[in-house]
Amino acid sequence: MSSDAEHQSAGVSRRKYLLTSAAAVGGVGLAGCSSSDTSNTNSGEGGNGDADSSTSSDSGSSGPSTVTAEGSSTVYPISNKGSSYWNSNSPPSDGEYWGSNDEGSVPGWDQIQTDENIADYFAGLYGFEATGERSNPPFGTRVALSHSGTGCEAVRDGLVDIGNSSGPITAELGISEQQRDDNYVDHVVGRDGQPVFVSQAVYDAGVEQLTGEQIRGIYQGDIANWSEVGGPDQEIYVVGRAEGSGTDTTFRLNMLGDAEAPMDVDTRLGQNQQVQQVLQNNDNAIGYMALAFSGPGIQAVAIDFDGTVFQPDPDAENTIFDAEYPLNRDLHMYTRINEETPDGTDMREAAFLNMFLTDFGQQVFVEDVNYITLPTSDLDAEKQKLPEQM
Amino acid sequence: MDSFTDTEVGGWEARAERYSGRVRTFITETDPGALAVVALSMGSLLLAFAGFLSASPLAAVPFGVFVLSTGYGWVRHQALIARAVTFAMTTVTLVTLGLIIAFIFVESAAAFRYESVTVFGVSVPGLGMFVQTRWDAVSDPVRYSLVPMIHGTAMVTAIATLVAAPLGVAAALFISEIAPPAVREAVKPGIEVLAGIPSIVYGFIGFTIINPWAGEEFALNGGSTYLFVGIVVGLMALPTVVSVAEDALTSVPDSMKDGSLALGATEWQSMTSITLPAAFSGVSAAVLLGVGRAIGETMAATVMLAGVQKIPEPITNVFYGYETLTSLIAANYGNASGTQESALFAAGVVLFVTVLSLSVASQYIEARMRQRLGGERT
Repeated sequence: MSSDAEHQSAGVSRRKYLLTSAAAVGGVGLAGCSSSDTSNTNSGEGGNGDADSSTSSDSGSSGPSTVTAEGSSTVYPISNKGSSYWNSNSPPSDGEYWGSNDEGSVPGWDQIQTDENIADYFAGLYGFEATGERSNPPFGTRVALSHSGTGCEAVRDGLVDIGNSSGPITAELGISEQQRDDNYVDHVVGRDGQPVFVSQAVYDAGVEQLTGEQIRGIYQGDIANWSEVGGPDQEIYVVGRAEGSGTDTTFRLNMLGDAEAPMDVDTRLGQNQQVQQVLQNNDNAIGYMALAFSGPGIQAVAIDFDGTVFQPDPDAENTIFDAEYPLNRDLHMYTRINEETPDGTDMREAAFLNMFLTDFGQQVFVEDVNYITLPTSDLDAEKQKLPEQM
Repeated sequence: MDSFTDTEVGGWEARAERYSGRVRTFITETDPGALAVVALSMGSLLLAFAGFLSASPLAAVPFGVFVLSTGYGWVRHQALIARAVTFAMTTVTLVTLGLIIAFIFVESAAAFRYESVTVFGVSVPGLGMFVQTRWDAVSDPVRYSLVPMIHGTAMVTAIATLVAAPLGVAAALFISEIAPPAVREAVKPGIEVLAGIPSIVYGFIGFTIINPWAGEEFALNGGSTYLFVGIVVGLMALPTVVSVAEDALTSVPDSMKDGSLALGATEWQSMTSITLPAAFSGVSAAVLLGVGRAIGETMAATVMLAGVQKIPEPITNVFYGYETLTSLIAANYGNASGTQESALFAAGVVLFVTVLSLSVASQYIEARMRQRLGGERT
């Protein structure tokens, strides 16, 4: 699809370039960024000139303003890696980060085949002017690390362009699906499995597989000793996640059957790294966390859901990487619908988000950081949510 | 001060009369140019504050006027503008405090309303936070009891005090009374350095070393304990206790000690029967300040505690460590919204009131000490 778009853009984009640069020139004398990004959107929409200020960004440059994102530590590795690649604006001769050379090429390169730098190429699809310079993308991107709830609030309040969340925004902000559809666009960029991990000692003592029912029992306080599920005679140290966090909400919903299901845990930890450390430090712990944080001293267990056994082994018939695995969850990047962007996604955001939805992006930003890539049908559906390419 | 007491005698009209008289004299005796500058400077500062409160981008304009007029006034009428500016700066401090207090109370209102309990037909907001023990922000019934966290804070503070008070007072006594000057000069800066270690360092050591060790040695399910959090927080409060207690002990007049020694008492007898009793209120103030530090300690508690809102069985069991008021806020602020967020502010209100009472108490004790030892008399 990208090559098609390129052909089209050759004809259509001149008007866009002129508009963009004119606005940028005006922006130097006036207040900087805001006017240019408004005009980008408006020219895409057919020029409705009453919008008066930018959604959020406060970058001082005179070009299009920086795309800002904030939110979940689970989405952060994807978002941050994408942002780093974008800001590097590597040339196609690089081979490792973009393009191809004698030593190799980036995944999915055969579908891209461009002689532009990485950010120039993706921004160009949405009508931004290329800089042709390494480390100088047409506009910058910046990703901050906080929590799903904070990310959703930040995009709600217009503090950032993109809110990263590992849970659905309806649960994070307590809004209805109608309100979500009216105010936000949900861009899913990848999937995260929440494997259930146990301490190495428990795994070695024979707990290699649990049923969904057993995990429910453990997390609701009905099962308190490993001997009840075929392990050693030892208390279970149940590790939950921060009350109301995206990880907590998704686990309750998918494993316990209800987003408000009661839980009885021994500790609640905020960060994936803490869960990892506690599981390593104790020899009787069970916990769940993002796949990206698996490591030595902890073992993912296979889970039997209604007769289907999902294995942590990627080569098994059913694996915890499958979309069917009930603990898999979508990783969201939300954008806000407002007066300037009735579609919810302006050109800058679209250019950045589109990068994640290519085969290249899925490989490098999703699979390489241990998350699950989207199947083709989902990718097509996600691309439909973005504005037309130039 | 005196004029203030005088006016109390007169009626309201008389006071107003006298005050406006003073203002009139002041105005007539001062250069009108200087007055105009001061009025402009202070007026624009007020305007800037009003603009700030209404979040207006125009607030920058009066602030700019304030800076310019104050700069001009500093050159032309320094004494007068300095009086006005120092007064304004003091006000800023107090206003900041006032805004913070107002903010946490307003933000916590929703949680207090949610936890209303009807007693004898009267609905008492917030009572539900203290008469039942369930905190669950997600599953039904959603309740926001602060009792488990108040219990946790009390446990940690009690253990920390048991660590910091004897160690701190003993160290202060050694430094002020026993140690030779050379040792004193070396030890005092050491204690200051201890005070400078960031609390996350203690917390990190606790999380990575003490918790796993405690879990292993005491066969606990997990390693979070109020005992070790209390000990760590006690060590963190130690420098405060030592330095304030040392000041109190040093401020006991030599004449009192000399008298005791002259009567044939040994050094140790003088310490226990003269110096310590004389400095008792100062030493108590030191311990109270340490307690205040322990109550407010956040980072170490958050990292080392389990982060679940329960009360251990039995209630005095120190080998469980669940949650304190501060760790509740620190662990949940990122994910909380709505009433849950408001309940975190309610925890902040409880903390604020506790720490405020402690600080008032320790200041009162310090003031009493000064009075008793014949320093200033009011």
